[in-house]
Amino acid sequence: MSAANALSERAGFRHQPALAAVRRLGGLKILLPFAALIAAWWAIHASADFSPQVLVSPLAVWRAFVHLVAYGVMAEYASTSLRMIGVATVLSLMVGVPIGFAVGVNRYAAHALEGFLRFLQGISGIAWLPLAIIWFGFTHATTLVIVIYTLIVPIIFNTMIGVRAIPPTYALALRSLGASPLRLVTDVYLPGALPSIVVGLRLGMGYGWRALIAAEMLVRRGGLGDLIFGARTFGQIDRIIAGMIVIGCLYVVIDRLIVQPIENLTIARWGVLRT
Amino acid sequence: MSDVTIAEPSPARRTLGRLAWQLLPLCPFALVLAAWAIYWTIARPPPATLPAPHDVADAVWELAARGDLATHVAASLWRLLLGTSLGVLTGVIGGFVAGLNRPVAAFLNPLIVFFNAISGIVWLPLVIGWLGIGTALAVFLIWNTVFFIVFQNTVLGVQLVPQVYEQGVQALGGGRWETIRSVILPGALPYILTGLRSGLGFGWRALIAAELVGATTGLGQMIYGATEFHRSDIVIGGCLIIGTIAMAMDRWLLLPIERRTIARWGLVIDARKEQ
Repeated sequence: MSAANALSERAGFRHQPALAAVRRLGGLKILLPFAALIAAWWAIHASADFSPQVLVSPLAVWRAFVHLVAYGVMAEYASTSLRMIGVATVLSLMVGVPIGFAVGVNRYAAHALEGFLRFLQGISGIAWLPLAIIWFGFTHATTLVIVIYTLIVPIIFNTMIGVRAIPPTYALALRSLGASPLRLVTDVYLPGALPSIVVGLRLGMGYGWRALIAAEMLVRRGGLGDLIFGARTFGQIDRIIAGMIVIGCLYVVIDRLIVQPIENLTIARWGVLRT
Repeated sequence: MSDVTIAEPSPARRTLGRLAWQLLPLCPFALVLAAWAIYWTIARPPPATLPAPHDVADAVWELAARGDLATHVAASLWRLLLGTSLGVLTGVIGGFVAGLNRPVAAFLNPLIVFFNAISGIVWLPLVIGWLGIGTALAVFLIWNTVFFIVFQNTVLGVQLVPQVYEQGVQALGGGRWETIRSVILPGALPYILTGLRSGLGFGWRALIAAELVGATTGLGQMIYGATEFHRSDIVIGGCLIIGTIAMAMDRWLLLPIERRTIARWGLVIDARKEQ
Protein backbone atom coordinates (compact mmCIF):
# COMPACT_ATOMS: atom_id res chain seq x y z
CA MET A 1 0.00 0.00 0.00
CA SER A 2 2.76 2.45 0.82
CA ALA A 3 5.25 0.57 -1.33
CA ALA A 4 4.38 2.81 -4.24
CA ASN A 5 5.38 5.79 -2.18
CA ALA A 6 8.63 4.22 -1.10
CA LEU A 7 9.75 3.69 -4.62
CA SER A 8 8.68 7.11 -5.74
CA GLU A 9 11.99 8.66 -4.76
CA ARG A 10 13.77 6.61 -7.29
CA ALA A 11 11.77 8.06 -10.16
CA GLY A 12 14.75 9.93 -11.55
CA PHE A 13 16.89 6.83 -11.71
CA ARG A 14 14.39 4.35 -12.98
CA HIS A 15 14.61 5.19 -16.62
CA GLN A 16 18.37 5.33 -16.98
CA PRO A 17 19.38 2.39 -19.13
CA ALA A 18 23.12 2.35 -18.50
CA LEU A 19 24.21 2.57 -14.89
CA ALA A 20 27.78 3.51 -15.75
CA ALA A 21 26.64 6.55 -17.68
CA VAL A 22 24.54 7.65 -14.73
CA ARG A 23 27.52 7.39 -12.46
CA ARG A 24 29.69 9.46 -14.79
CA LEU A 25 27.11 12.17 -15.26
CA GLY A 26 25.65 11.81 -11.78
CA GLY A 27 27.88 14.26 -9.96
CA LEU A 28 27.30 17.12 -12.33
CA LYS A 29 23.62 16.40 -12.77
CA ILE A 30 23.04 16.45 -9.06
CA LEU A 31 25.05 19.58 -8.39
CA LEU A 32 23.68 21.66 -11.25
CA PRO A 33 20.19 22.22 -9.78
CA PHE A 34 21.71 23.26 -6.48
CA ALA A 35 24.02 25.72 -8.25
CA ALA A 36 20.94 27.20 -9.93
CA LEU A 37 19.13 27.42 -6.62
CA ILE A 38 22.04 29.15 -4.92
CA ALA A 39 22.35 31.57 -7.83
CA ALA A 40 18.64 32.41 -7.52
CA TRP A 41 18.98 32.84 -3.76
CA TRP A 42 21.94 35.13 -4.28
CA ALA A 43 20.05 37.18 -6.86
CA ILE A 44 17.04 37.57 -4.55
CA HIS A 45 19.30 38.58 -1.70
CA ALA A 46 21.17 41.11 -3.84
CA SER A 47 18.02 42.56 -5.42
CA ALA A 48 16.55 43.96 -2.22
CA ASP A 49 17.91 45.21 1.03
CA PHE A 50 17.03 42.37 3.40
CA SER A 51 17.66 42.71 7.08
CA PRO A 52 20.05 40.00 8.32
CA GLN A 53 17.17 38.88 10.56
CA VAL A 54 15.16 37.93 7.48
CA LEU A 55 17.54 36.59 4.83
CA VAL A 56 21.29 36.31 4.54
CA SER A 57 23.49 35.62 1.54
CA PRO A 58 24.79 32.12 0.73
CA LEU A 59 28.25 33.40 1.58
CA ALA A 60 27.20 34.27 5.13
CA VAL A 61 25.71 30.79 5.55
CA TRP A 62 28.94 29.26 4.30
CA ARG A 63 30.92 31.36 6.80
CA ALA A 64 28.61 30.30 9.64
CA PHE A 65 28.99 26.68 8.56
CA VAL A 66 32.80 26.91 8.48
CA HIS A 67 32.74 28.61 11.86
CA LEU A 68 30.52 25.90 13.38
CA VAL A 69 32.66 23.13 11.92
CA ALA A 70 35.96 24.74 12.94
CA TYR A 71 34.91 25.02 16.56
CA GLY A 72 33.61 21.46 16.62
CA VAL A 73 30.09 22.64 17.42
CA MET A 74 28.57 21.11 14.31
CA ALA A 75 30.24 17.74 14.89
CA GLU A 76 28.94 17.61 18.43
CA TYR A 77 25.35 18.58 17.61
CA ALA A 78 25.26 16.31 14.56
CA SER A 79 26.71 13.33 16.40
CA THR A 80 24.12 13.75 19.17
CA SER A 81 21.32 13.57 16.62
CA LEU A 82 22.85 10.68 14.69
CA ARG A 83 23.49 8.64 17.82
CA MET A 84 19.91 9.21 18.90
CA ILE A 85 18.35 8.08 15.60
CA GLY A 86 20.77 5.14 15.40
CA VAL A 87 19.98 3.85 18.88
CA ALA A 88 16.26 4.40 18.35
CA THR A 89 16.29 2.54 15.02
CA VAL A 90 18.15 -0.49 16.36
CA LEU A 91 15.96 -0.74 19.45
CA SER A 92 12.75 -0.29 17.48
CA LEU A 93 13.70 -3.01 15.00
CA MET A 94 14.76 -5.40 17.75
CA VAL A 95 11.52 -4.95 19.64
CA GLY A 96 9.09 -4.06 16.86
CA VAL A 97 9.75 -6.85 14.37
CA PRO A 98 9.21 -9.74 16.83
CA ILE A 99 6.03 -8.08 18.09
CA GLY A 100 4.88 -7.64 14.50
CA PHE A 101 5.51 -11.33 13.79
CA ALA A 102 3.74 -12.45 16.93
CA VAL A 103 0.71 -10.36 16.09
CA GLY A 104 0.77 -11.06 12.37
CA VAL A 105 0.66 -14.86 12.54
CA ASN A 106 -2.51 -14.78 14.61
CA ARG A 107 -5.61 -13.72 12.73
CA TYR A 108 -7.41 -12.62 15.90
CA ALA A 109 -4.47 -10.74 17.37
CA ALA A 110 -3.92 -8.92 14.08
CA HIS A 111 -7.58 -7.96 13.85
CA ALA A 112 -7.62 -6.83 17.48
CA LEU A 113 -4.48 -4.71 17.25
CA GLU A 114 -4.84 -3.15 13.82
CA GLY A 115 -7.18 -0.39 14.97
CA PHE A 116 -5.17 0.26 18.09
CA LEU A 117 -1.96 0.63 16.08
CA ARG A 118 -3.68 2.95 13.64
CA PHE A 119 -4.85 5.02 16.59
CA LEU A 120 -1.32 5.17 18.01
CA GLN A 121 0.05 6.10 14.61
CA GLY A 122 -2.40 8.99 14.55
CA ILE A 123 -0.97 10.36 17.80
CA SER A 124 2.37 11.50 16.51
CA GLY A 125 5.33 11.01 18.84
CA ILE A 126 5.65 14.73 19.18
CA ALA A 127 2.16 14.96 20.70
CA TRP A 128 3.40 12.82 23.60
CA LEU A 129 6.33 15.19 24.10
CA PRO A 130 4.59 17.36 26.73
CA LEU A 131 3.77 14.25 28.77
CA ALA A 132 7.27 12.83 28.29
CA ILE A 133 8.71 16.13 29.52
CA ILE A 134 6.56 15.87 32.67
CA TRP A 135 7.70 12.28 33.21
CA PHE A 136 11.38 12.40 32.26
CA GLY A 137 12.19 16.11 32.39
CA PHE A 138 14.26 17.93 29.78
CA THR A 139 16.63 15.02 29.18
CA HIS A 140 17.89 12.75 26.42
CA ALA A 141 15.56 10.07 27.76
CA THR A 142 12.58 12.18 26.72
CA THR A 143 13.90 12.55 23.17
CA LEU A 144 14.77 8.86 22.92
CA VAL A 145 11.34 7.74 24.12
CA ILE A 146 9.62 10.00 21.61
CA VAL A 147 11.77 8.83 18.69
CA ILE A 148 11.41 5.14 19.58
CA TYR A 149 7.64 5.52 19.88
CA THR A 150 7.55 7.22 16.49
CA LEU A 151 9.67 4.53 14.84
CA ILE A 152 8.25 1.43 16.45
CA VAL A 153 4.58 1.89 15.57
CA PRO A 154 5.05 1.86 11.76
CA ILE A 155 7.54 -1.01 12.11
CA ILE A 156 5.12 -3.18 14.10
CA PHE A 157 2.25 -2.22 11.83
CA ASN A 158 4.07 -2.98 8.58
CA THR A 159 5.62 -6.20 9.89
CA MET A 160 2.12 -7.31 10.82
CA ILE A 161 0.74 -6.35 7.40
CA GLY A 162 3.65 -8.11 5.73
CA VAL A 163 3.07 -11.34 7.61
CA ARG A 164 -0.68 -11.16 6.98
CA ALA A 165 -0.10 -10.80 3.24
CA ILE A 166 1.81 -14.09 3.00
CA PRO A 167 -0.51 -16.77 1.61
CA PRO A 168 -1.17 -19.21 4.48
CA THR A 169 -0.59 -22.13 2.10
CA TYR A 170 3.17 -21.46 2.19
CA ALA A 171 3.31 -21.92 5.93
CA LEU A 172 1.00 -24.93 5.71
CA ALA A 173 3.17 -26.51 3.03
CA LEU A 174 6.27 -26.23 5.17
CA ARG A 175 4.46 -27.47 8.23
CA SER A 176 3.15 -30.52 6.45
CA LEU A 177 6.76 -31.30 5.53
CA GLY A 178 7.61 -31.21 9.22
CA ALA A 179 9.22 -27.77 9.54
CA SER A 180 9.74 -26.36 13.04
CA PRO A 181 8.27 -22.97 14.01
CA LEU A 182 11.77 -21.49 13.69
CA ARG A 183 12.04 -22.74 10.11
CA LEU A 184 8.66 -21.15 9.40
CA VAL A 185 9.96 -17.78 10.63
CA THR A 186 13.26 -17.94 8.74
CA ASP A 187 11.94 -19.50 5.53
CA VAL A 188 8.45 -18.07 5.18
CA TYR A 189 7.63 -15.16 7.43
CA LEU A 190 10.92 -13.27 7.36
CA PRO A 191 11.51 -13.34 3.60
CA GLY A 192 7.83 -12.79 2.91
CA ALA A 193 7.46 -9.86 5.27
CA LEU A 194 10.85 -8.24 4.71
CA PRO A 195 9.82 -5.85 1.92
CA SER A 196 6.95 -4.64 4.08
CA ILE A 197 9.23 -4.32 7.13
CA VAL A 198 11.60 -2.16 5.11
CA VAL A 199 8.69 0.02 4.00
CA GLY A 200 7.77 0.41 7.67
CA LEU A 201 11.36 1.20 8.57
CA ARG A 202 11.58 3.82 5.88
CA LEU A 203 8.31 5.44 6.91
CA GLY A 204 9.36 5.25 10.55
CA MET A 205 12.71 6.89 9.77
CA GLY A 206 10.91 9.65 7.91
CA TYR A 207 8.61 10.29 10.86
CA GLY A 208 11.34 9.59 13.43
CA TRP A 209 13.91 11.98 12.01
CA ARG A 210 11.37 14.81 12.06
CA ALA A 211 10.19 13.87 15.54
CA LEU A 212 13.82 13.90 16.66
CA ILE A 213 14.42 17.38 15.29
CA ALA A 214 11.18 18.66 16.83
CA ALA A 215 11.91 17.05 20.20
CA GLU A 216 15.42 18.50 20.21
CA MET A 217 13.96 21.94 19.58
CA LEU A 218 11.88 21.74 22.74
CA VAL A 219 14.12 19.66 25.00
CA ARG A 220 17.16 21.82 24.18
CA ARG A 221 19.81 19.31 25.21
CA GLY A 222 21.96 19.24 22.08
CA GLY A 223 21.24 17.89 18.63
CA LEU A 224 20.63 19.65 15.35
CA GLY A 225 17.10 20.70 16.30
CA ASP A 226 18.54 22.47 19.32
CA LEU A 227 21.16 24.10 17.09
CA ILE A 228 18.68 25.68 14.70
CA PHE A 229 16.08 26.53 17.34
CA GLY A 230 18.72 28.04 19.62
CA ALA A 231 19.97 30.15 16.72
CA ARG A 232 16.40 31.47 16.33
CA THR A 233 16.56 32.97 19.83
CA PHE A 234 19.49 35.13 18.73
CA GLY A 235 18.14 35.73 15.23
CA GLN A 236 21.16 34.01 13.63
CA ILE A 237 19.61 33.19 10.26
CA ASP A 238 22.98 32.09 8.86
CA ARG A 239 23.26 29.40 11.52
CA ILE A 240 19.65 28.27 11.01
CA ILE A 241 20.11 27.79 7.26
CA ALA A 242 23.48 26.07 7.74
CA GLY A 243 21.84 23.71 10.23
CA MET A 244 18.92 23.02 7.87
CA ILE A 245 21.32 22.12 5.07
CA VAL A 246 23.21 19.74 7.35
CA ILE A 247 19.92 18.14 8.48
CA GLY A 248 18.86 17.65 4.86
CA CYS A 249 22.22 16.23 3.77
CA LEU A 250 22.41 13.83 6.71
CA TYR A 251 18.92 12.55 6.06
CA VAL A 252 19.55 12.06 2.35
CA VAL A 253 22.76 10.18 3.20
CA ILE A 254 20.98 7.96 5.75
CA ASP A 255 18.15 7.26 3.35
CA ARG A 256 20.26 6.67 0.26
CA LEU A 257 23.23 4.85 1.74
CA ILE A 258 21.55 2.72 4.36
CA VAL A 259 17.80 2.32 3.95
CA GLN A 260 17.58 2.24 0.18
CA PRO A 261 20.31 -0.38 -0.40
CA ILE A 262 18.53 -2.63 2.10
CA GLU A 263 15.32 -2.09 0.20
CA ASN A 264 16.96 -2.83 -3.14
CA LEU A 265 18.49 -5.96 -1.67
CA THR A 266 15.16 -7.28 -0.45
CA ILE A 267 13.54 -6.53 -3.77
CA ALA A 268 16.35 -8.03 -5.82
CA ARG A 269 16.23 -11.14 -3.68
CA TRP A 270 12.52 -11.61 -3.21
CA GLY A 271 11.25 -9.87 -6.30
CA VAL A 272 8.36 -7.74 -5.16
CA LEU A 273 6.39 -6.32 -8.02
CA ARG A 274 7.57 -2.84 -8.81
CA THR A 275 5.33 -1.36 -11.46
CA MET B 1 -15.10 -13.28 5.17
CA SER B 2 -16.26 -16.86 4.82
CA ASP B 3 -14.16 -19.39 6.66
CA VAL B 4 -14.07 -23.10 6.08
CA THR B 5 -15.71 -24.61 9.11
CA ILE B 6 -16.14 -28.26 9.79
CA ALA B 7 -19.50 -28.25 11.51
CA GLU B 8 -22.03 -25.69 10.40
CA PRO B 9 -22.65 -23.52 13.49
CA SER B 10 -26.14 -22.43 14.42
CA PRO B 11 -27.25 -18.97 13.19
CA ALA B 12 -27.29 -17.62 16.74
CA ARG B 13 -23.72 -18.69 17.30
CA ARG B 14 -22.65 -17.25 14.01
CA THR B 15 -24.17 -13.89 14.90
CA LEU B 16 -22.41 -14.04 18.25
CA GLY B 17 -19.15 -14.87 16.52
CA ARG B 18 -19.54 -11.98 14.12
CA LEU B 19 -20.29 -9.63 16.99
CA ALA B 20 -17.19 -10.81 18.87
CA TRP B 21 -15.11 -10.32 15.73
CA GLN B 22 -16.41 -6.78 15.38
CA LEU B 23 -15.79 -5.96 19.04
CA LEU B 24 -12.28 -7.43 18.98
CA PRO B 25 -10.56 -4.15 17.92
CA LEU B 26 -11.89 -2.53 21.09
CA CYS B 27 -10.03 -5.02 23.32
CA PRO B 28 -6.60 -3.33 23.29
CA PHE B 29 -8.21 -0.01 24.23
CA ALA B 30 -10.13 -1.67 27.07
CA LEU B 31 -7.00 -3.48 28.27
CA VAL B 32 -4.89 -0.31 28.34
CA LEU B 33 -7.68 1.55 30.12
CA ALA B 34 -8.03 -1.24 32.69
CA ALA B 35 -4.28 -1.43 33.30
CA TRP B 36 -4.13 2.33 33.73
CA ALA B 37 -7.08 2.36 36.16
CA ILE B 38 -5.67 -0.54 38.20
CA TYR B 39 -2.19 0.99 38.33
CA TRP B 40 -3.67 4.30 39.40
CA THR B 41 -5.78 2.71 42.13
CA ILE B 42 -2.80 0.78 43.56
CA ALA B 43 0.06 3.24 43.16
CA ARG B 44 -1.85 6.54 43.45
CA PRO B 45 0.73 8.58 41.51
CA PRO B 46 0.57 12.37 41.89
CA PRO B 47 -1.98 13.80 39.43
CA ALA B 48 0.74 15.78 37.64
CA THR B 49 2.50 12.52 36.76
CA LEU B 50 -0.43 10.32 35.90
CA PRO B 51 -4.03 11.38 36.45
CA ALA B 52 -6.85 8.89 36.85
CA PRO B 53 -8.82 7.96 33.71
CA HIS B 54 -11.90 9.71 35.07
CA ASP B 55 -9.85 12.88 35.71
CA VAL B 56 -8.89 12.89 32.02
CA ALA B 57 -12.53 12.42 31.06
CA ASP B 58 -13.48 15.30 33.40
CA ALA B 59 -10.78 17.55 31.95
CA VAL B 60 -11.92 16.86 28.38
CA TRP B 61 -15.56 17.39 29.37
CA GLU B 62 -14.68 20.68 31.04
CA LEU B 63 -12.74 21.88 28.00
CA ALA B 64 -15.60 20.87 25.75
CA ALA B 65 -18.18 22.59 27.96
CA ARG B 66 -16.21 25.83 27.97
CA GLY B 67 -15.97 25.68 24.18
CA ASP B 68 -12.16 25.78 24.26
CA LEU B 69 -11.92 22.33 22.79
CA ALA B 70 -14.03 23.24 19.77
CA THR B 71 -11.87 26.34 19.19
CA HIS B 72 -8.65 24.33 19.28
CA VAL B 73 -9.96 21.50 17.11
CA ALA B 74 -11.41 23.95 14.59
CA ALA B 75 -8.13 25.88 14.43
CA SER B 76 -6.12 22.70 13.84
CA LEU B 77 -8.48 21.25 11.24
CA TRP B 78 -8.73 24.55 9.37
CA ARG B 79 -4.93 24.73 9.13
CA LEU B 80 -4.75 21.12 8.01
CA LEU B 81 -7.39 21.68 5.34
CA LEU B 82 -5.73 24.84 4.06
CA GLY B 83 -2.21 23.42 4.06
CA THR B 84 -3.18 20.09 2.53
CA SER B 85 -5.33 21.63 -0.22
CA LEU B 86 -2.53 23.99 -1.15
CA GLY B 87 -0.02 21.14 -1.05
CA VAL B 88 -2.12 18.83 -3.20
CA LEU B 89 -3.02 21.54 -5.70
CA THR B 90 0.55 22.77 -6.21
CA GLY B 91 1.97 19.25 -5.99
CA VAL B 92 -0.33 17.81 -8.64
CA ILE B 93 0.09 20.74 -11.03
CA GLY B 94 3.84 20.83 -10.53
CA GLY B 95 4.05 17.05 -10.78
CA PHE B 96 2.19 17.05 -14.09
CA VAL B 97 4.38 19.75 -15.57
CA ALA B 98 7.54 17.98 -14.47
CA GLY B 99 6.28 14.47 -15.22
CA LEU B 100 5.33 15.31 -18.81
CA ASN B 101 8.73 16.82 -19.35
CA ARG B 102 11.46 14.31 -18.63
CA PRO B 103 14.47 16.66 -18.69
CA VAL B 104 12.68 18.98 -16.23
CA ALA B 105 11.90 16.08 -13.91
CA ALA B 106 15.48 14.83 -14.06
CA PHE B 107 16.80 18.32 -13.38
CA LEU B 108 14.48 18.93 -10.43
CA ASN B 109 14.84 15.49 -8.84
CA PRO B 110 17.90 16.22 -6.66
CA LEU B 111 16.27 19.41 -5.36
CA ILE B 112 13.04 17.57 -4.58
CA VAL B 113 14.88 14.80 -2.74
CA PHE B 114 16.81 17.33 -0.69
CA PHE B 115 13.84 19.53 0.17
CA ASN B 116 11.72 16.51 0.99
CA ALA B 117 14.38 15.57 3.52
CA ILE B 118 13.98 18.90 5.31
CA SER B 119 10.25 19.27 4.81
CA GLY B 120 8.06 20.24 7.73
CA ILE B 121 9.24 21.08 11.19
CA VAL B 122 12.85 21.79 10.14
CA TRP B 123 11.63 25.02 8.54
CA LEU B 124 10.06 26.27 11.77
CA PRO B 125 13.00 28.30 13.14
CA LEU B 126 13.51 30.07 9.81
CA VAL B 127 9.89 30.66 8.86
CA ILE B 128 8.83 31.79 12.32
CA GLY B 129 10.94 34.89 11.60
CA TRP B 130 9.17 35.45 8.26
CA LEU B 131 5.55 34.71 9.09
CA GLY B 132 5.43 35.07 12.88
CA ILE B 133 3.42 32.81 15.15
CA GLY B 134 0.01 31.66 13.95
CA THR B 135 -1.97 30.05 11.17
CA ALA B 136 0.28 31.21 8.31
CA LEU B 137 3.25 29.41 9.87
CA ALA B 138 1.36 26.14 10.39
CA VAL B 139 -0.13 26.27 6.90
CA PHE B 140 3.31 26.84 5.40
CA LEU B 141 4.76 23.85 7.25
CA ILE B 142 1.88 21.57 6.18
CA TRP B 143 2.06 22.78 2.57
CA ASN B 144 5.79 22.22 2.62
CA THR B 145 5.32 18.66 3.90
CA VAL B 146 2.48 17.65 1.60
CA PHE B 147 3.81 19.29 -1.56
CA PHE B 148 6.99 17.26 -1.97
CA ILE B 149 5.30 13.91 -1.32
CA VAL B 150 2.43 14.62 -3.71
CA PHE B 151 4.83 16.07 -6.28
CA GLN B 152 7.08 13.00 -6.26
CA ASN B 153 4.17 10.61 -6.50
CA THR B 154 2.51 12.57 -9.31
CA VAL B 155 5.73 12.62 -11.31
CA LEU B 156 6.12 8.90 -10.81
CA GLY B 157 2.50 8.20 -11.75
CA VAL B 158 2.67 10.35 -14.88
CA GLN B 159 5.93 8.78 -15.99
CA LEU B 160 4.73 5.23 -15.44
CA VAL B 161 1.71 5.52 -17.74
CA PRO B 162 2.62 3.26 -20.69
CA GLN B 163 3.24 5.30 -23.80
CA VAL B 164 1.15 2.89 -25.85
CA TYR B 165 -2.01 4.34 -24.30
CA GLU B 166 -0.97 7.88 -25.13
CA GLN B 167 -0.17 6.85 -28.68
CA GLY B 168 -3.51 5.10 -28.88
CA VAL B 169 -5.40 8.29 -28.09
CA GLN B 170 -3.17 10.27 -30.40
CA ALA B 171 -3.73 7.82 -33.24
CA LEU B 172 -7.46 8.32 -32.81
CA GLY B 173 -6.92 12.04 -33.26
CA GLY B 174 -6.77 13.17 -29.64
CA GLY B 175 -4.76 16.29 -28.93
CA ARG B 176 -2.33 17.00 -26.12
CA TRP B 177 -5.09 18.04 -23.71
CA GLU B 178 -7.23 15.04 -24.61
CA THR B 179 -4.29 12.71 -23.88
CA ILE B 180 -3.69 14.27 -20.48
CA ARG B 181 -7.37 14.18 -19.53
CA SER B 182 -8.26 10.68 -20.66
CA VAL B 183 -4.99 8.78 -20.27
CA ILE B 184 -2.45 10.38 -18.00
CA LEU B 185 -4.75 11.74 -15.29
CA PRO B 186 -6.56 8.44 -14.65
CA GLY B 187 -3.29 6.54 -14.96
CA ALA B 188 -1.54 8.73 -12.41
CA LEU B 189 -4.49 8.94 -10.03
CA PRO B 190 -3.59 5.94 -7.83
CA TYR B 191 -0.13 7.40 -7.28
CA ILE B 192 -1.53 10.84 -6.54
CA LEU B 193 -3.88 9.31 -3.97
CA THR B 194 -1.02 7.36 -2.37
CA GLY B 195 0.82 10.66 -2.16
CA LEU B 196 -2.19 12.34 -0.59
CA ARG B 197 -2.56 9.62 2.00
CA SER B 198 1.05 9.63 3.02
CA GLY B 199 1.22 13.42 2.79
CA LEU B 200 -1.69 13.77 5.17
CA GLY B 201 0.07 11.48 7.65
CA PHE B 202 3.16 13.66 7.59
CA GLY B 203 1.09 16.84 7.50
CA TRP B 204 -0.88 15.97 10.64
CA ARG B 205 2.40 15.39 12.50
CA ALA B 206 3.91 18.60 11.18
CA LEU B 207 0.80 20.48 12.29
CA ILE B 208 0.91 19.22 15.89
CA ALA B 209 4.65 19.88 16.08
CA ALA B 210 4.23 23.37 14.63
CA GLU B 211 1.46 24.21 17.05
CA LEU B 212 3.54 23.25 20.07
CA VAL B 213 5.58 26.42 19.72
CA GLY B 214 4.29 28.23 16.67
CA ALA B 215 0.67 29.02 17.49
CA THR B 216 -1.61 30.45 20.13
CA THR B 217 -4.50 28.07 19.41
CA GLY B 218 -4.80 24.52 18.14
CA LEU B 219 -4.49 21.08 19.69
CA GLY B 220 -0.69 21.18 19.82
CA GLN B 221 -0.79 24.45 21.73
CA MET B 222 -3.51 23.11 24.00
CA ILE B 223 -1.33 20.23 25.21
CA TYR B 224 1.93 22.18 25.30
CA GLY B 225 0.31 25.03 27.21
CA ALA B 226 -1.07 22.53 29.72
CA THR B 227 2.47 21.32 30.50
CA GLU B 228 3.31 24.64 32.10
CA PHE B 229 0.61 24.07 34.72
CA HIS B 230 1.43 20.37 35.02
CA ARG B 231 -2.04 19.51 33.79
CA SER B 232 -1.31 15.96 32.67
CA ASP B 233 -5.02 15.31 32.39
CA ILE B 234 -5.33 17.87 29.60
CA VAL B 235 -2.16 16.55 27.92
CA ILE B 236 -3.41 12.96 27.87
CA GLY B 237 -6.93 14.01 26.89
CA GLY B 238 -5.45 16.09 24.07
CA CYS B 239 -3.34 13.18 22.83
CA LEU B 240 -6.39 10.94 22.77
CA ILE B 241 -8.34 13.55 20.81
CA ILE B 242 -5.45 13.91 18.35
CA GLY B 243 -5.44 10.13 17.84
CA THR B 244 -9.21 9.98 17.45
CA ILE B 245 -9.25 12.71 14.81
CA ALA B 246 -6.41 11.04 12.91
CA MET B 247 -8.20 7.70 13.02
CA ALA B 248 -11.47 9.26 11.91
CA MET B 249 -9.72 10.90 8.96
CA ASP B 250 -8.10 7.60 8.08
CA ARG B 251 -11.37 5.71 8.30
CA TRP B 252 -13.79 8.07 6.61
CA LEU B 253 -11.53 9.98 4.28
CA LEU B 254 -8.48 7.96 3.31
CA LEU B 255 -9.70 4.39 3.54
CA PRO B 256 -12.61 4.98 1.14
CA ILE B 257 -10.18 6.67 -1.23
CA GLU B 258 -7.78 3.76 -1.01
CA ARG B 259 -10.57 1.25 -1.40
CA ARG B 260 -11.77 2.97 -4.54
CA THR B 261 -8.26 2.91 -5.90
CA ILE B 262 -7.93 -0.75 -5.03
CA ALA B 263 -11.30 -1.59 -6.52
CA ARG B 264 -10.43 0.23 -9.67
CA TRP B 265 -6.82 -0.66 -10.14
CA GLY B 266 -6.50 -3.94 -8.28
CA LEU B 267 -3.60 -3.02 -6.04
CA VAL B 268 -2.98 -4.73 -2.68
CA ILE B 269 -5.61 -7.42 -2.95
CA ASP B 270 -5.13 -8.69 0.58
CA ALA B 271 -6.29 -5.38 2.10
CA ARG B 272 -9.87 -6.51 1.64
CA LYS B 273 -9.42 -9.66 3.65
CA GLU B 274 -9.20 -7.71 6.87
CA GLN B 275 -12.61 -6.08 6.70
